[in-house]
Amino acid sequence: MSADRDTTRIVRSWLEDGVTRLPDHVLDAVLDELPSTPQRRATWWPARRLSTMNTTLKFGLAAVVVAVALLIGLNYLAGTNVGGPDVEAATPTPVATSTPEPTATPPPSPSAETGGLPEGTYVLWNKDPVGTMNVTIPAPGWFGELQGGILIKNDSGADPPDGAGLIVLGEAIDWLVPTDPCNWESTLPETPATTVDQLVAGLSAQESREASDPTDVTVGGHAGFTMTLQVPDDADFGGCDHGQFCTIARESVAREGGCQRFHQGPGQIDKLWIVDVDGVPVIIDAGWYDETPPEHVDELEAIVASTTFGD
Amino acid sequence: MDTDLVTRAQRGDEEAFASLAVAAGDRLHAVAHRILRDLHLAEDATQQALLAIWRDLPQLRDPARFEAWSYRLLVRSCYAEGRRERSWTPHLRLLDSDEPMQADESSTVIDRDQLERGFRRLSIDHRAVVVLHHYLDWPLERVADALGIPPGTARSRLHHAMRGLRAALDADARPPEREAAQ
Repeated sequence: MSADRDTTRIVRSWLEDGVTRLPDHVLDAVLDELPSTPQRRATWWPARRLSTMNTTLKFGLAAVVVAVALLIGLNYLAGTNVGGPDVEAATPTPVATSTPEPTATPPPSPSAETGGLPEGTYVLWNKDPVGTMNVTIPAPGWFGELQGGILIKNDSGADPPDGAGLIVLGEAIDWLVPTDPCNWESTLPETPATTVDQLVAGLSAQESREASDPTDVTVGGHAGFTMTLQVPDDADFGGCDHGQFCTIARESVAREGGCQRFHQGPGQIDKLWIVDVDGVPVIIDAGWYDETPPEHVDELEAIVASTTFGD
Repeated sequence: MDTDLVTRAQRGDEEAFASLAVAAGDRLHAVAHRILRDLHLAEDATQQALLAIWRDLPQLRDPARFEAWSYRLLVRSCYAEGRRERSWTPHLRLLDSDEPMQADESSTVIDRDQLERGFRRLSIDHRAVVVLHHYLDWPLERVADALGIPPGTARSRLHHAMRGLRAALDADARPPEREAAQ
């Protein structure tokens, strides 16, 4: 009978036999397919801080800042035009988002030092089937992916220990709520949650989340529920599926190992507003931590409270 | 692994990803071949794994974990390719020969044949643990981390797999049953 160490020796020797080089044609095929293989972006912010946003968006946001600065500057000049006619102080109006054209000579990007988006009303979300969702940013320091439903305080990535951020999930009606957010890939339900009630029930039942009781709420005239979830303080993301603590994922993505809302760190607190917008459940998820400055949390609440839907 | 390359590739830099693929491709392919025991399936698995790595790279939160994460995607591709395997390559058989084989050579060939059979009876889960541990020489904790399983599960899979392989080798210790060529 083979001793254990003999078996190990034989197996190791046997495994040494075999190819050790990837054929060029395989590598070539992979590289040829890259242009037609879109990367799957997480619809949460860690990998997409403003500093890594695409150039068009950077230019667009920079253009907004420059435009506002020009308005302020013009108003200042007009207001200090001694001897000239009085000019009513104009309130700088942040430009509602659009898809801006990149300029040949891009102005500098906004940074944490410049305060990010100027206070004002923005289109935060503009995707089918929900359409447009507008919010008012009440204070400086917010960065984001406008129309993509992401806002982040101080370009922090909403990371521990004191980050804050907000994400809108409204693009689908095929949400899967895993029963265990850590072992999420193996605890996805067979059927998606397609209504507000189903989403709330699924999230309330998630293991290890200590969900608050859902309470009635109205956001932008649409009824639903609000509730709070918290990632356990001792959660070890490294031991979770794909290293992610996943609250919710679209069925089409989850079946291939992707998650939409995965968390930034243990202890993260999430307040959810889940409302029905013409038959589509829309999730607004604001996340922060115990050490997040209370005023940032207040700003998150104010942003959600300002929500309107439609043009 | 150069985390700067990973970060650039996460942002869609194809050139950076090409560098990553060149650096990691040989190793991934070698592992795929040893798990699947078929050259063509291994090529397909490696190709699919590299494309999956490109596609999902933005979702990798920690670039420093690229290597472990890439093996997890590779093993997943091996699952998919393994399902395509309808029948495995013909058994190596002992044939009558004009030139008698030396006893040691014969024993080695039989060992490898029996190992091949025993290994193919294992699930991809078990094969992956054996290959990562005994071929890449990774400690079980690292294997578990790469595969996203608890260390105890990795240990259990390795134990089960090695028991199966030992049984396959032991079967060879019984009086040889000379197989006829088909």
